[in-house]
Amino acid sequence: MNILEVDSISKNFGDFEAVKELSFSLEEGKVFGLLGPNGAGKTTTIRMIMNIIIPDSGKISIMKNSDVEKANNLIGYLPEERGIYRKMKVNEVLLFLAKLKLMPRKTAQNEIDNWLERLDLKKWKDKKVEELSKGMQQKLQIISTILHKPKILIFDEPFMGLDPLNTKLIKEILLELKEKGTTIIFSTHLMDNVEKLCEQILMINKGKNVLSGNLKTIKNNYGKNRIQLKFSGDDKFLQNSAVKNFDNFGNYVELQLNKEIDPQEFLKKVCSQVQVSKFEIIEPSLNDIFIEIAEKN
Amino acid sequence: MSKLGAVIQREYVTRVRTKGFIIGTLLFPLIIIFLFGGIFIFAQLFAPSTKNYAVIDQTGKVYADFVKLLPDTLKNGKPKFAFHQVQTTDPISERTFSVLQKQIVNKEIDGYIFIPKNVIATKKVKYAARNVSDFEELNDLQRSLSRVIANLRLSEKGFPAEEIRQEMAKGWIQLESHQVTEKGEVSKHSASSFLLTYLLSYMLLLFIMTSGQTVTRSVIEEKSQRITETIISSINARDLMLGKMLGICLLGITQLIVIGGFVYSTSIFGAPLFAKAGIQIPKLMNILENLHFSPVIFIFFILFFFMGFFLYAGLFAAIGAMVNTNDEGQQFLLPIVFLNLMGFFIMFSVAKNPETTSAFWASLFPFFTPVVMFARIAVMDPILPSGAIISLFTLALSIIILIKFVAKIYRVGILMYGKKPSLKEALKWIKYK
Repeated sequence: MNILEVDSISKNFGDFEAVKELSFSLEEGKVFGLLGPNGAGKTTTIRMIMNIIIPDSGKISIMKNSDVEKANNLIGYLPEERGIYRKMKVNEVLLFLAKLKLMPRKTAQNEIDNWLERLDLKKWKDKKVEELSKGMQQKLQIISTILHKPKILIFDEPFMGLDPLNTKLIKEILLELKEKGTTIIFSTHLMDNVEKLCEQILMINKGKNVLSGNLKTIKNNYGKNRIQLKFSGDDKFLQNSAVKNFDNFGNYVELQLNKEIDPQEFLKKVCSQVQVSKFEIIEPSLNDIFIEIAEKN
Repeated sequence: MSKLGAVIQREYVTRVRTKGFIIGTLLFPLIIIFLFGGIFIFAQLFAPSTKNYAVIDQTGKVYADFVKLLPDTLKNGKPKFAFHQVQTTDPISERTFSVLQKQIVNKEIDGYIFIPKNVIATKKVKYAARNVSDFEELNDLQRSLSRVIANLRLSEKGFPAEEIRQEMAKGWIQLESHQVTEKGEVSKHSASSFLLTYLLSYMLLLFIMTSGQTVTRSVIEEKSQRITETIISSINARDLMLGKMLGICLLGITQLIVIGGFVYSTSIFGAPLFAKAGIQIPKLMNILENLHFSPVIFIFFILFFFMGFFLYAGLFAAIGAMVNTNDEGQQFLLPIVFLNLMGFFIMFSVAKNPETTSAFWASLFPFFTPVVMFARIAVMDPILPSGAIISLFTLALSIIILIKFVAKIYRVGILMYGKKPSLKEALKWIKYK
């Protein structure tokens, strides 16, 4: 089932087109990457899903419900610009944020106690937020995002400013929630960071969909023409019509073949000219794919 | 609990227990206590002592009567004045004056009064002292001298001076002010009703401004600490703004009730308490006693605070949404302060003449309505001034329209970081969907 459907949404700010007729859908229980460089329209798209801003045109429905405001409580959102009331006590802040998701007080308090215990924050419960270290405040933000057991989790640049321990923690918790069937959206410009986590991706640039679908399929379509090569001998063979581009790093070379070239045939040719010690077909990274697409447009 | 309720609760609860709020609420009663206490204590500390005067009476007719007219005593029971006569030759020599001057400088006497022979013609008496700034005392001396001289003049023409004086005193009448209302006549102390109006209008202005600025600060806090987006991903921006306003408004009303309760109980219980302790009631307390807190005025006061707050809070919220820091907010604040103060100045003349056409129209201008219309109602109580009900409607309508536009500016502004927008840009935000 598609838990989220976005149908041709657009948003302009004055003369600036932030999002242009963007459509995508999201299967329940999957991890989804919303990717693109800074200013591509990722945050604007998320804000429209969160009903923070309203699309100029198009439709969004969450769990077949097009009243985005009502569906709002089913989502947990960790914004890129995130902060927490510094003058409030830890427990109060969490209770307040839980109330905003219409959680009953008792259930909320139980969940808060569980999470504070688990993340080693129990003795800070009645301390003011400003007394906490930055790392602890980050934990607090993570708790506030998942406290109400959302069906969908949206993380906008989640690893920005996060220390390595919390990065690990957030990945663990997310995997655990995914096991329980939570749908997760990652929005980031650091594509390498989420490559291992995402099953589906949507890549946008200048507000438009440039690439979407299953990550494996995409990689298969784009892959198989990137090669890592170690050799000894004259590198003259690189000046060849079969090679689209190459980077010679000294002790090895990375090269991309033209599409119609079969890597096996290419290897045979190379072997006849130099001594090959390593030959590996490498998967393209999302970064490579994005750069290729961006250059094409 | 609804989302709106959660926001109201947070705004109220987190603020009501801050030191700032508690101190701010208690400060007003404390100031009053210090004021009364201070007047009392300082009056004791700086109690004047008996003043010693030498009197040179060249006429020989003034001194006896003059001294008789000033038998006042000080609080400690000692006489206020001590006079002694200095006999001199006629014409008086400069040496006499220089001796007296020396005595004054040496603090043997406090001053001298020289009544020349031709005082009836010149109407001038010389008064010389180390300190000539106690105008109350100067007044006493002048009044007594005038009375003696007037009596002399009357006697010279053959009139019985004291008899005339007594008859004149019997002729003094008092003007008892009554206000005519539909229910009949009500006696009313005009000075106290003006004072009450002034006090309450000032409090309205003060509370609308301070509560309004709290709204701005609250918006800026969420913006500068990057809390906004987390919150409005759960509640829509308009409800967040209204919740904020309602929470802070309740805070203001709490403060008003505490202060109002204090003033009310002081005016009722204060005077007897002071009397019991054997302390003289200062004049200010007498005025407080005369203030009558009609329930109708109090209801209108709260009503106008509520509505005035929402009108101005709309502007304050828009400012908070447009700027990033409290400093940036200051410059936008000025026009609002100006607007509010203008209403306050208009209030002064309106309170004296509440029924003029200009008073009517001034009280209908929404930004002036809270203070000006309230002043008219308070001064004319128990008569409702013309336009009172209409003004409530126009004010309510203005609030609805203003909040509608402000909500749009707010929604866009709270997510804008970085450069402060111009007013023109901010107005463009209203058009965003």
